[in-house]
Amino acid sequence: MSTFEHLSLSQRIAALEAAEHGDMIPAEQVRELVAAVKTMFGHQADKPNTTEKLYSELGELAKFINNAKKELQEVKGSTIAEEHLPNATNQLDAIVQMTEQATGRIMDECDRLTMFHTDLRERLIAMDPPLDPDALAGVDDAINQAAVSITHIFEACNFQDITGQRVQKVVRALQEIERQVLRMVVVFGLMENKDRLDAETAAELQEDAALLNGPQLNGQGLDQDEIDSILSKLL
Amino acid sequence: MSVDRNMRILVVDDAQTMRRIIVNLLRQLGFTNMTEADDGTTAWEKLNAEHIDMVISDWNMPKMTGIDLLKKVRESEKYKLTPFIMVTAEGKRENVIAAVQAGVSNYIVKPFNAATLKEKMTKVIGMF
Repeated sequence: MSTFEHLSLSQRIAALEAAEHGDMIPAEQVRELVAAVKTMFGHQADKPNTTEKLYSELGELAKFINNAKKELQEVKGSTIAEEHLPNATNQLDAIVQMTEQATGRIMDECDRLTMFHTDLRERLIAMDPPLDPDALAGVDDAINQAAVSITHIFEACNFQDITGQRVQKVVRALQEIERQVLRMVVVFGLMENKDRLDAETAAELQEDAALLNGPQLNGQGLDQDEIDSILSKLL
Repeated sequence: MSVDRNMRILVVDDAQTMRRIIVNLLRQLGFTNMTEADDGTTAWEKLNAEHIDMVISDWNMPKMTGIDLLKKVRESEKYKLTPFIMVTAEGKRENVIAAVQAGVSNYIVKPFNAATLKEKMTKVIGMF
């Protein structure tokens, strides 16, 4: 066993670096070092390229999100779909709008019922000859109970506001995930495809990646066609 | 001292549905004089344009949030003691603390019912 063998790789490299010009380095030591380096790199070469694998998975994820959005856009046949939907997030917005409208109609009808009850009460009180007091009290009690039920309906309409806020949170989360995944796809794509992309395309993609950093406002950032174009260049 | 059912109550919420629910519940509780605003900025304009006896405001709103409106209200000489109830879907501890520090009179978490609204209002303006 050589004296060199018990040293770690970094210690062996340090020992060789410390050698001065003209020093004799035993061939055995050089062979051991080369073998150690080869083993190290050989071991890594057996593993799949982590960056490539990550890029590929991100690409699949971006494609999945993109396809899911397209599928949602292609859902036809319902009034909601035809009237409200350019994209998936718009569908969620449409859900909020529709529930708001439905809730509004429910509350309109509740208001009408309250008006009917008020009108009924006034007519009964004004009847000539007057209604039997016990009968009038009974009707009045029923009207009051109906008013309590109407209040309960209004209370139940709270759901619209709560669900609306939750859907908005999901929309924002989806937009953020999509943006971040696409940004990673562009960044990894530039690394993986640097030999294939010409300088102009690479510069364009770099610009797109920068745009994907911030939250997208209406009329800003990338639209669906631009996203498709990026994916087609990189994946 | 009895509560004036004709007190002017400003209901602030960016969701029309929620404003309507609150106004209706107030009506069921016997209040008759309500006005509405859809964000803090509009609410602040209303507060300056007329006399308001009580504010019921949402927290999350565009332009000016409920907490910012509360701070402005408390900074003003005219409204520094005016009852201000915060209504929000987020019952986060830090939000409640922030609202209390800003001078909120009471705090309601959505969804809520007429009984809860009555209970909180009673604590702020007295029995009615």
